[in-house]
Amino acid sequence: MALIEIKNLNKIYNTIAVPVHAVKDVNLLIDKGEFTAVVGPSGSGKTTLLNIIGGLDKPTDGQVIIDGRDITKLSDSKMVDYRLKNIGFVFQSYNLIPVLTARENIEFIMLLQGENKQKRDERATELLKAVGLGDRIDTRPAMLSGGQQQRVAVARALASKPSFVLADEPTANLDSASAESLLDMMEELNKKYDMTFIFSTHDSRVMKRARRIITLVDGKIADDKKS
Amino acid sequence: MLIALSWKNIWRNKKRSLVIIMAITSGLWGGLFLNAVWLGMVESMVETAISRNLAHIQIHQPQFDQDRDIRKHIADGDGIYRSLTAHNSIGAVSARTLINGMASSPASAYGVNIIGVNAQNEANVCDITTNLQEGVFLDSKYRNPAVVGAKLAERLNLNLRSKIILSFQNLQGGINYLACRVVGIYKTNSTQFDEMNLYVNQADLFKNLDTKPIFHEIAVRLNAIDSLDAVKAKIENIVPGQLVETWKEIAPELAYLSDMMDFYAYFFIGIIIAALIFGITNTMLMSVVERFKEIGMLMAIGMHKSKVFIMILAETVFLSLTGGIIGIVISAVTILLTGYTGINLSFIAVSLESFGSAAMLYPYLPLSIYFTLVLLIVIAAVLASLLPAYKAIRLLPAEAIRTN
Repeated sequence: MALIEIKNLNKIYNTIAVPVHAVKDVNLLIDKGEFTAVVGPSGSGKTTLLNIIGGLDKPTDGQVIIDGRDITKLSDSKMVDYRLKNIGFVFQSYNLIPVLTARENIEFIMLLQGENKQKRDERATELLKAVGLGDRIDTRPAMLSGGQQQRVAVARALASKPSFVLADEPTANLDSASAESLLDMMEELNKKYDMTFIFSTHDSRVMKRARRIITLVDGKIADDKKS
Repeated sequence: MLIALSWKNIWRNKKRSLVIIMAITSGLWGGLFLNAVWLGMVESMVETAISRNLAHIQIHQPQFDQDRDIRKHIADGDGIYRSLTAHNSIGAVSARTLINGMASSPASAYGVNIIGVNAQNEANVCDITTNLQEGVFLDSKYRNPAVVGAKLAERLNLNLRSKIILSFQNLQGGINYLACRVVGIYKTNSTQFDEMNLYVNQADLFKNLDTKPIFHEIAVRLNAIDSLDAVKAKIENIVPGQLVETWKEIAPELAYLSDMMDFYAYFFIGIIIAALIFGITNTMLMSVVERFKEIGMLMAIGMHKSKVFIMILAETVFLSLTGGIIGIVISAVTILLTGYTGINLSFIAVSLESFGSAAMLYPYLPLSIYFTLVLLIVIAAVLASLLPAYKAIRLLPAEAIRTN
């Protein structure tokens, strides 16, 4: 059984005024352990699709079945819990909490999950070591480079032990060296932990690494290539 | 960590937080100190009036106050006086003989209240003896000594040893005259009192009137002001048929002022806090708007709206309490210091005395106001947080994450 099964997914914005069909009849299966990039020009529906998969947006119709559960049927409150326990997010501009240290940023999500202090400390330290920031544990985001901040963001995404990680343009704000290094690390995590990564990207560096590229054009899947 | 995060969040923009903290601090300091000065002034007015001549409780013949007729004296006043002096909750008693009359000097004449007292008893009940500007309080070798107020002395052009003729109605309805010698001039905080009241030995009055001791007013000073109503009830049992009144009933305007000032203190602070709510709300709104992206991220990764609400609420309470506690501490120190040293307002002494207040004010604020204030600040913070918190929880994470 696929990890994520998307059936007849449609998303129309402004259904009354000027309707915009952001996602059209998308059907998709994503298996556990995939390293997948959703690509396409601006306005092609990448972000909308990822938002719906991540439970941040509701489709106009269709189903998103994750681990056998249709998340489009969940209430807002249950959806929040679902995101907390099952989905890791990495954002384009890192979105770390500036007043917390790297470890505290990672611990925060575990705190929301109700983990005790000892477990939080242990896992945050382990993850920071795994992303190569074992020596920057108590550093605040402002003292880290963009690449390092995005590594912390990846560690935070993994802290909740999610089923998969959604990464929206994770390399867009990074220089080449930082982007390559981040992708190396993500690939390693993907292989080591069999963690599923789904990217939304324009970046050729990400596309080169992705083992599956889903191309969206005008909200429709125009191409779906596996390497 | 949520609470720690809230505390850290208020220091993100130090300048902005410090500005609102200073606004709260200075607002509270101004409000509390002004209240303390007002309360000190009213307390001074009350204490001055009680010490001047009011005492805590007075006993009269029930109809005396209608026309202050000399014949409406307290029945068996001497017996009542003796029984009251034996009462252990009563500190001091002075039985007064009150007669409306006319004081004439070679220069002028003026209508006065002639107060016949036993000098020692009166000194125990009131502080009139300590208000003497010159001379002595009736204890003199001169025959028929009199003590006049400074204002009356000025009006009648009197000095120490000046002669003065008192004329007043006697018990038979005729007019008696009493030639007195000024042996003392007093000055209280009330120019009106100083102009209207003149003290003589009551023994001189009884002799002039050819009567046994008669008293129109028995003034009672208590050991503890807290027992006012209880002692009043006890006295009523001792003197059935007489009018027993506390200072609050005799001078309702003072009692009203005292009670109103307590209410006004809270009202005034309430207005300041209400004004501060707008400032705090504005600061928190700016803080929330600046963090749309971050709040969106928090909700995206799985933070419930209720926790976002609590976080904003805690930030507002921390911000308000920081300013509030600093303001309270600074105010308390200022009030304690000035309450100890006093504030000398002698440059407006004339205006203050016309209100019956001393020129030296000792600000004070009941301890309960400080505790109530902390509670009010928390309530204000909760109210101030509602709009920013509501704005935060209304965010859609998917949109908020993409804001710049």
